[in-house]
Amino acid sequence: MLEPVMFTGGLYKHDLVVELVEDLGGYILQKNVTQSEIILLILVPSEDKAALEDLSKELRGELVRAPLAGTEVAVVTPTLAIHHLPHTACDIAEYLRRHGSKTNMLGLARGVGREIAQINEYETALINEHDAAVFIFGNFQECIKKKEGLYRNITVPVVVTGGPQIEASELPYAFEYVPAIGRVAHRARKATEIGTLDRIVESIGRALDKTRTTIAKDPLTTSPPRVMDAVREQVPDVMFSYSPLPIALNLNGVRVKLPFEAYKDAVSAVSFDEGVKLGEIATIRPSRMKDYILVRILPASETGFVF
Amino acid sequence: MDPMEVFKIEVTGQEEYGAKKYRELIMDILQDLGLIRSIGRLYVYVDILKPFFAVYGLLRSGIPPLTAKDVGDVMRVSGGYQIKINDEEHMADLLRALWEHYGRERVEQPARDMLIIASDTSPSEIVVADLEAEFLQDLTDALVRVAPEGFRNRRNEMTKDSFLFVAAEESLTPEILSEIKEKIREMENA
Repeated sequence: MLEPVMFTGGLYKHDLVVELVEDLGGYILQKNVTQSEIILLILVPSEDKAALEDLSKELRGELVRAPLAGTEVAVVTPTLAIHHLPHTACDIAEYLRRHGSKTNMLGLARGVGREIAQINEYETALINEHDAAVFIFGNFQECIKKKEGLYRNITVPVVVTGGPQIEASELPYAFEYVPAIGRVAHRARKATEIGTLDRIVESIGRALDKTRTTIAKDPLTTSPPRVMDAVREQVPDVMFSYSPLPIALNLNGVRVKLPFEAYKDAVSAVSFDEGVKLGEIATIRPSRMKDYILVRILPASETGFVF
Repeated sequence: MDPMEVFKIEVTGQEEYGAKKYRELIMDILQDLGLIRSIGRLYVYVDILKPFFAVYGLLRSGIPPLTAKDVGDVMRVSGGYQIKINDEEHMADLLRALWEHYGRERVEQPARDMLIIASDTSPSEIVVADLEAEFLQDLTDALVRVAPEGFRNRRNEMTKDSFLFVAAEESLTPEILSEIKEKIREMENA
């Protein structure tokens, strides 16, 4: 069982952490360097976590559990206008990031209003490429109930946030509803506001656990971090991608941030020690996000084996 | 405590939370834009089922226009007048006003905060900026920010001492407007 953790510490000697994780059979998901600081998102075998803890103590770093590491969450606002940004949406997105998730902010083109709110097929498909979504609504319960149409066709779990208290039974299409964070014009800084952000993270955690349980019933042929490692090794061009996270992990695959037409064959030809190619155990298709490559690993029921 | 004399907000239906939050939101936005001291009374009426959003406000006494003597000390010197600037914020406006009045060749700026005008008429009363117009512009900006975003059909009636801002999703009909005005009159008299 791999445990998601986040290492924060000095840049000096951080390669010792990277080496240890590789020796233990773990994965480095993301590396963020900010001047002399580094943040590493790591998957480490849970039985060897103590070794990593000892090393980070030695390096005066900090090691915390990052329950959302290795997942991608969409933070959806009705538009990207001043009414929704920056406070609520950025606070939620930033808070999810601190718990290890890769967060994308998404403003709908016509999500505003009560009667006129709409979502189109492209936006729905883009949100469906994530592992979970947070829809940020306002302060009026009539509007929150009415705007259910925006996420009715979304297949990933949707956590809805808004101001007033609403019974879960009144929002049947939402995975969960988190109240007390509607439209605000100031940053979240009070304890109650931070508490609400914590509840959103917990709710997303539950949503992801539900997806993980579903996947566990018919396990994937191989794990997404392993695919990520193999692609990184065998398609070295991915390291030249300008994106801060050239390979984004999902629960059921990865998104490789390279042009689809030019690299789809290279990605499909990535091979594993067991003698199979990525193209045989996964579907490789264009992502809705820019011109990226979306890799979705097939379950054991389709390929007949797990490695 | 509210810096305004009266601040009432009414929302139809079971929306006490929304009313409470919009109150905070309006205060936050007006405070951000530094408008709160210029508004005496504020009445907000929202019907979320129709839906529309209306704000009626009474303004505190008008702001006099800013003149050259408000932004600096005007002194008589040999060959003309000298202005020593205290508030650099309005420097660009002041220069523009002086150029327009005296012509560029008669206005000199020997130092960053010093202006010399080669003329016999005093520049003291020259209007530098119309603060009231700026205030009304800021107020409109604030109201657009306050209204829920999808409410794109807007109407803004501004007079010297009051304003009525209405925003709705559907077209604004005379019936809706008269309903709003009546409701606000009720709120005022309550």
